[in-house]
Amino acid sequence: MSWKIWALKKSPWVFHVNAGACNNCDIEIVDLLTPKFDVERFGIKLVGSPRHADALLVTGVGTKQAAIRLREVYRQTAKPCVVFCIGACACGTGIFEGAYHVAGPVDKIIKEEDPNAIIAYVPGCPPKPEAMISGVVKALSVL
Amino acid sequence: MSVPLNVLFWVVVIPGTIVLGLVASWIVRKVSALVQYRVGPPIFQPFYDVAKLMGKEILIPEQAQQTVFMAAPLVGLAGLLLLSIMLWRITITGTAYLGDIVVAIYLMVLPSLALILGSSASASPHAAVGTSREMKLIMSYELPLVLAFIVVIIKTGGQLSLAAIAERAPIFSISGFLAFLVALLCVQAKLGFVPFDIAEAETELGSGVLMEYSGALLALWKLSQATMLVVLPLFLVMVFLGGFGTAGWPLLWGIGKYVLMLVLVILIKNTNPRMRIDQAMKFFWVYCGLTLAFAITLATIGNYCGIGWL
Amino acid sequence: MNQEQLNTKLAQIKDKLIAIEQKSDNRIFLLCEAENAYDVNKFLFEDVGCRFAIATGIDSEHCFEVLYHFSYDQLGCVITVKAFIRDRQNPAIESITPFLPAAEWIEREIHDILGIDFRNHPNLKRLILFDDWPQGVYPLRKEIRTSGAPASREPNQDAGYQ
Repeated sequence: MSWKIWALKKSPWVFHVNAGACNNCDIEIVDLLTPKFDVERFGIKLVGSPRHADALLVTGVGTKQAAIRLREVYRQTAKPCVVFCIGACACGTGIFEGAYHVAGPVDKIIKEEDPNAIIAYVPGCPPKPEAMISGVVKALSVL
Repeated sequence: MSVPLNVLFWVVVIPGTIVLGLVASWIVRKVSALVQYRVGPPIFQPFYDVAKLMGKEILIPEQAQQTVFMAAPLVGLAGLLLLSIMLWRITITGTAYLGDIVVAIYLMVLPSLALILGSSASASPHAAVGTSREMKLIMSYELPLVLAFIVVIIKTGGQLSLAAIAERAPIFSISGFLAFLVALLCVQAKLGFVPFDIAEAETELGSGVLMEYSGALLALWKLSQATMLVVLPLFLVMVFLGGFGTAGWPLLWGIGKYVLMLVLVILIKNTNPRMRIDQAMKFFWVYCGLTLAFAITLATIGNYCGIGWL
Repeated sequence: MNQEQLNTKLAQIKDKLIAIEQKSDNRIFLLCEAENAYDVNKFLFEDVGCRFAIATGIDSEHCFEVLYHFSYDQLGCVITVKAFIRDRQNPAIESITPFLPAAEWIEREIHDILGIDFRNHPNLKRLILFDDWPQGVYPLRKEIRTSGAPASREPNQDAGYQ
């Protein structure tokens, strides 16, 4: 595989985006980045700007208002990058299917922007931090 | 020095300093992890970070000032590498010259200045806030840093040459110790570590000063931060702690002093919360300024009366 | 004051209410018509000294209801004013924002979602609906069952769960 992907697997920097979530998954993500779960041993670091990020952790069903912003954030992320859909709502709209404010699950929004996006799914409501670590490591190992 | 060794020096010094800097940044992360009772990153992690950043695309905002935006990290890194060459030459071959400490202080300002220029060329409101805070911080700590070095110059009787300064250890005296404490905190602010990392990580949700940088330019900023971790503690060792030997016991002793500086920086980093910008300005202007005024008085008296421990 | 004193104080506006219900300890419902809701809220906020918590809008089948939840902190008692709006074609109620500025946004939200007009509201603009959402379509009214998408039970084919 190319050296860019190899380096990305060794040091994935994450940026957290909330696309209309109830904040449950957001709490679990912030929980994940505390010293207790120590994701720094995988090289994962929380960065404050999407331009520095390799992985976007997107939570929430994509509401119509958040879809515009999510596309803008994806455009601002330097490629190559991976999008992680965290939680049942992000994976496939969860309990909000067919609701008036939903613009599609997150992968549909991202694929409108970039059909070749690399997307990984971590289901759960909310997924436990251990599940998120397992999902991220599995996704990086099949890149 | 003989010609082959000379050539070897010129080939090895710049990549060597950068590699040493990345290893030092790993030491910082690993010790911080151990202090927080967790396993830290593996030893090659900073190298992976830089390699990965080199492989990402460079995104430049549409309204950014492109020349300054792209040149700023280069200027910062160039200034630091020049300073490191100077310091290595002084320790290894002893080619100091009169006034080189002034050149060193001048070169140490370059990375901070480059940070301000780069972030204000970013055309982003977050970066603008970060720029204004970084400017206030720099204006606050530069003067105490220079005054701390002036204390040392007074104590050595007015010598402006680093080799002469590096022979003594001014820390074993009251004014030298006070100046060392102030200089350590100013170095902490220059490195951008807690409690003074106001500019970069301060909107922890917005990444402040370096917000619009990505790809290879961000890699250059990380490299200059890593190089600062080598150069600034080395400079402190040479000015306050009596220099760096070249062979045998003095070399090991010198490495030990450098590691002590690094450990002090890491400990201060891990045990303090971040300051607000107005608290930091008050700290540097009032507390450090008064301490240094006191130290300069003591040093002048000591020099005039010939008392060494003042 | 304790519970009996609170009950006597609430009885002062009994003539404006349809009924007072005490569902359980620390939970009092004051039922009234929409025209009297303003006076009842003003009484609770200013005379009894309750703290406004939140408001709720409900679409019952034959009327609209707006519930104002107040908290009487000394007892831990929650007093809810239940205002019935009988007119389903043009529902309207007097806004309490003039004396209670904290209610401004929740009334805007109820207006966006249920279409209840709040008279004398200083700023009745769109708050939470999407910018391109058509005016006059109120999503949480009972006649809007779904947004048009059928409630299918097929799993999403491209999901690729593991």
